[in-house]
Amino acid sequence: MKNKYMFGGFIIVVFLGVMIYLFTQTNVSYESSLVKVMQSEKTVKATGSWVKERNYEINKEKNLFSFYLKDDQGNMMKVIYHGTIPNNFESSTSVVVTGKYHDGAFHATDILTKCPSKYQEQPVQNANS
Amino acid sequence: MIGNIALTLALLTGVFSIVMYFLTFRGYQNTLSLARISFHATAILVLAASALLLHAILTHQYQYKYVYNYSSSDLPIGLLISTFYAGQEGSFMLWILFTAIIGLILLDYTSKRGDLEPRVMMVFGLALTFLLVMVNPLLKSPFTYIWTTPDFIDLKNINPAYYSLSALQQFMFSDPQSNKQFIQMNSELHGILAASNISVNDFIIQGKGLNPLLQNFWMQIHPPVLFVGFAMSAVPFSFALAALLKNDYKDWVKQALPWVLSGTMVLGLAIMLGGYWAYGVLGWGGYWGWDPVENSSLVPWLVGAASIHTLLVQRKTQEKGAGRFVKTNLILSILTFVLVLYSTFLTRSGILGDASVHSFVDPGMTVYLFLVMFLLLFTLLGIGMVIYRWKYLTDNFTYEENLLSRELALFTGAVALLASAIIVIVGTSAPIFGQTVEIKFYNELNLPIAIIIGLLNGGSLLLKWKMTDKKDLWKQSRFSLLASLVFTVLVALLGGVSEIMLIVLLFSSAFALFVNAEIMLKILKGRKSFLGAYVAHIGIAVFLIGVVASGGYSDHKQVDLVKGEKQNVFGYDLSFTGYEPIDNGKKYAFNVEITKNGSTKIAKPVMFIAEFNNSLMREPDILAGFTKDFYVAPVGYSEGDDDGHTHGSTISLKKGSSTDYNGITITFESFEMPKDAMTSMSSGGEFKIGALLKVLADGKEYTIKPSLVIQGDGRKSESAEFKQKNLRFDIVNMNAGNGTVDIEISNLDENSQSQITNVKKEVLTVEASIKPFISLVWIGVVLMVIGFMISAYRRSKESLV
Repeated sequence: MKNKYMFGGFIIVVFLGVMIYLFTQTNVSYESSLVKVMQSEKTVKATGSWVKERNYEINKEKNLFSFYLKDDQGNMMKVIYHGTIPNNFESSTSVVVTGKYHDGAFHATDILTKCPSKYQEQPVQNANS
Repeated sequence: MIGNIALTLALLTGVFSIVMYFLTFRGYQNTLSLARISFHATAILVLAASALLLHAILTHQYQYKYVYNYSSSDLPIGLLISTFYAGQEGSFMLWILFTAIIGLILLDYTSKRGDLEPRVMMVFGLALTFLLVMVNPLLKSPFTYIWTTPDFIDLKNINPAYYSLSALQQFMFSDPQSNKQFIQMNSELHGILAASNISVNDFIIQGKGLNPLLQNFWMQIHPPVLFVGFAMSAVPFSFALAALLKNDYKDWVKQALPWVLSGTMVLGLAIMLGGYWAYGVLGWGGYWGWDPVENSSLVPWLVGAASIHTLLVQRKTQEKGAGRFVKTNLILSILTFVLVLYSTFLTRSGILGDASVHSFVDPGMTVYLFLVMFLLLFTLLGIGMVIYRWKYLTDNFTYEENLLSRELALFTGAVALLASAIIVIVGTSAPIFGQTVEIKFYNELNLPIAIIIGLLNGGSLLLKWKMTDKKDLWKQSRFSLLASLVFTVLVALLGGVSEIMLIVLLFSSAFALFVNAEIMLKILKGRKSFLGAYVAHIGIAVFLIGVVASGGYSDHKQVDLVKGEKQNVFGYDLSFTGYEPIDNGKKYAFNVEITKNGSTKIAKPVMFIAEFNNSLMREPDILAGFTKDFYVAPVGYSEGDDDGHTHGSTISLKKGSSTDYNGITITFESFEMPKDAMTSMSSGGEFKIGALLKVLADGKEYTIKPSLVIQGDGRKSESAEFKQKNLRFDIVNMNAGNGTVDIEISNLDENSQSQITNVKKEVLTVEASIKPFISLVWIGVVLMVIGFMISAYRRSKESLV
């Protein structure tokens, strides 16, 4: 009787151990402050929105797509993504890029663009009616 | 209005039926018929509310906020119907509708099986009622009017006949970014309209429309099937609680089994329909992304599948008493529904935020709290009842297993499935703590589990109940072990499989396949209704092999296809032959001829700009075959003057905006159109449009003006040279309507020939991929579904005995 529980317990410990280990190896934290992102040496997921005023660039030869990301404090960071521009990039309200910041730019291996499920605008009242 | 009344009444009758069933359970005499009547009333009211919502959608009643937000008058009928569940409120309605219908069937089913009905319907009714609270007018009703909370409506959706209404001006707004105009719809405006006898339905004549990503066939079937699966997950929960209420643990197993089987089948099918949707339409080339929404419906499926096997053991060991794994089965059945609720919480509360492509907009604090409450209550109810009965359960139902017994093998298999569920749930819940895991986490942890499951699958069928003789075991398994070995070696050699884990997984899947196939052949001569498990297991084995092959050995390459020129990719000759408008000119299909060994097929990937959100939509085309899929995903299309290979970068500029490029600043000032452009355009003559660029380099400002010479259908680019920085500027595309221009910047000394040619070079860029044996993934799913159906049929006949 005891043996069964010890064996089972052992398996559970091993399983949890492997899982926790792999978790620490593959976890990526979210960072919404671009200042911290630029200081960090680890792979992170940076969140922010695309800076429309500084247009995006597509380099077809090297298959690069670059643009500027800004966070809610107004910090801006250049992002270079090794791939094609995501489908709904232009209308996205927020962008999440996975990668590392080095040599002056954030090199992204993944981009997630979020469109609002309802297309939200922030209209302003017309001055004269 | 009527809709809200129906929903509120449904909620009330629902509560009433729970109370009546409870009283019946406690022994009161006259409450059963009242309970039944009120449950039927609830179902009828739900049906009525659903019919009302559908009617409002079909007749474009835009006074309802939900109808305005998710549908439009130009949708084809199939998609229009599917807008019913396009948003939060409607998808809850769909879930409720299916729960109500299943409730009616459940009522009938349980009424024929002793005193089961009051206990089961009491709990099931509670689940239904909680869902109804979600859509009641105080929370998120689909029947909310559009003016109850102020909302901005695009002017183009308003009836032009009312544009001149003087009272309208104070509600007019405009968005400086998009230059669109809006009317703010609120109760004040509604009052004004009502006073002038203008119905809102007449005032608003078009809806926002359905997100183009959802405008396809799969939107019409994936969510409904998923919600049937969700609705059915409440059934084993109800059965488990019924057993706990009565403290009787024998009969519920055979009574619940057909429900657990069908529910798990439907949920599994729904999950893979979603996968097929992603693969065939969304164009990123895969069918499973370990996205939180995908994962959160996978977890209850894994637990449900585990519970099937432990339930079967309990069923088999019931000759004297309630059988084995009494506690396990109660807990797993409760857990399945709780996990469905957890999945609902994860995906609808907004808590996952940035982690998922499916993230909804934050629904607000009330909804968030309610979802938490819903989840907590049912968890506490279920686990609480188990704890309440714990002493009785442990005193009466604790056993030992023989090592070489089918009971233990099945239990271990269930544990393996649960381990996988834990892995997925840990990874999926990580964003709650601001973390996320890479896909590696899921793949590396699930791989050994998949191996174990394959081996156990085959092994458990070779083991006998209670105890197996070692010699017999060896004799039985010899053939399968050998066949699997041969199969694995063959595939590894022919397919070039070198990773050790994948080889082991191949062996383990093959082992499951051969064991099940051997038994299946024996059964085919006998009682065919017993075939279910074996067909389903063969399905799983085939599925796993397909996953390994297509996951591990796919290859992809991006190519530029110049019109008329052949390119060889992965042994196929690809040639882009042109494009044509489809779907009433709203979309474009790009024809790519794919030739190999003399036979040619045409792939037609599609691209178009969606009006909904002004973005480029891309849809792949797939040449599907048994041994591989040839996947063509469109990346982009350009008409340029050079030989199709752009040597530099393309930037997109809006009028008045600037960008930095390699240390210089480029500003797009304006278009330059000669005065006679309009006449030339209409007469078909030649005319030139220029883009006036101001370039700031090393402190000095220069004016650069590339142009496009257009005549009829042809265009050619007149480059502008910027010698100071050795750059050439060409216009690749321009859109006078929204004031943007795409400029290609290349190096001056690179040869860009054919400046003078009138032939435009059309280039289609595609990503071509080969996905070996991905057909096995789908075939495996179909086999699993068939197997489930056969089993559910067999067990439902047994449940009456």
